[in-house]
Amino acid sequence: MAELIELRDEQLLKMMRDGDEDAFTALYRRRQGGIYRFVLEMSGSAALAEDVTQEVFMALIRESRGYDPTRGSLAAYLLGMARHHAVRLLKRDRTYVPMEEGGRDGEKSLPFSPEDPQWAMSRRQSIEAVQQAILSLPEHYREAVVLCDLNEMSYEDTASVLGCSVGTVRSRLHRGRALLLQKLAGGKKAEASRKAIDPSGCLA
Amino acid sequence: MNCKDFESTVHEIVSGRAADKTRQLEALEHAGRCLWCALRLDEETRLTENLQALAKAHHVQRAPARVEEALLQAFRERTRRANGPLFALAGKRFWRRLSWGLAFAAIVTATVVIVLGNRKPGVPLLQHRQPDSGAQAASSGPAEQAALDEWTNEGTTGFIPLGTCDDSDCLDDAVVVRVALPAEALLDFGLPINNDWVAGESVDAEVVIGREGVPSAIRFVN
Repeated sequence: MAELIELRDEQLLKMMRDGDEDAFTALYRRRQGGIYRFVLEMSGSAALAEDVTQEVFMALIRESRGYDPTRGSLAAYLLGMARHHAVRLLKRDRTYVPMEEGGRDGEKSLPFSPEDPQWAMSRRQSIEAVQQAILSLPEHYREAVVLCDLNEMSYEDTASVLGCSVGTVRSRLHRGRALLLQKLAGGKKAEASRKAIDPSGCLA
Repeated sequence: MNCKDFESTVHEIVSGRAADKTRQLEALEHAGRCLWCALRLDEETRLTENLQALAKAHHVQRAPARVEEALLQAFRERTRRANGPLFALAGKRFWRRLSWGLAFAAIVTATVVIVLGNRKPGVPLLQHRQPDSGAQAASSGPAEQAALDEWTNEGTTGFIPLGTCDDSDCLDDAVVVRVALPAEALLDFGLPINNDWVAGESVDAEVVIGREGVPSAIRFVN
């Protein structure tokens, strides 16, 4: 099992196709976290993240030959599948459970344990505010922010997951971050005050 | 660099995505001279820190162990079926096609067996006589060839049922016997007699004799 960790995703996939259970386990353990977090951050629902993670790998077991290496990395392919499943399930359910209302297994708590409780409280509130702001973004901006800023994916991989151009990813990320700032600063009021200090015609 | 340029690149600078280091330095230099852009840099930096903190907090998030267990079970089941004796050679689609092919072949084989089982040499049941190239090839001597040529050149009427056979079972193991009948027999079946007919002359006929020895059909040979 240890030597499997050294192998690339595509090599593990090939071994998995030949019935190697250890290769499948290694691939699952390598990629499940990213898929789970992507759906969790997109939906705020731990239950949905769990369902989608399972569906993605079930689909990989059933149709492992559906992956075309010429169209991007396996990680991007799996995230693309996760996105597809998540969008379908979200449309079906219409609503999702935001994190502070609780998912499965009490996963609503963010794992902080600093020594200063006041600092911890403040930090936690700040991060939860960001989390809520992300959840309130329109879907296509949210996807760009989650993939690029939270999962640190490259523009190219993100474009592969979303099925759009790199330029589109850049502009969505830019717009998504601008919307996040507005929401975190209190919406239009903050935006107005920000514009008030905008030195019009500043071409310095 | 102006404010517009700065705005278009600030999020890439703070998140470390700016590929061009010179441009990054220009942006920072611009922010040092422009209050608005300095504020923008500050708020983008704070946003990035918060996003990184959120990502770090989520970094430990994983699908529960039960998902891995369910998937491994599904994988084993899939592998077990794939390694079965039949599926070892090809996929499901191949076997579906093969089973249709086998079913078709079985129908064709059964039909051929039934037809051949009912057919005896020299029993062309209810068929008009046709030259048989296979038979011609099989006959070796000139006498046999002449007999075959005569046989194939003979004209016959169609078989006329005698009303003794109600179902196809009575034709099982049937044989055809050639007989000579008085020419008047033609009249009994509503057939014409030649004008140059001479009393006492006979005509050839082939009679189908069924399993019980009962004649079931007759045809006249010209």
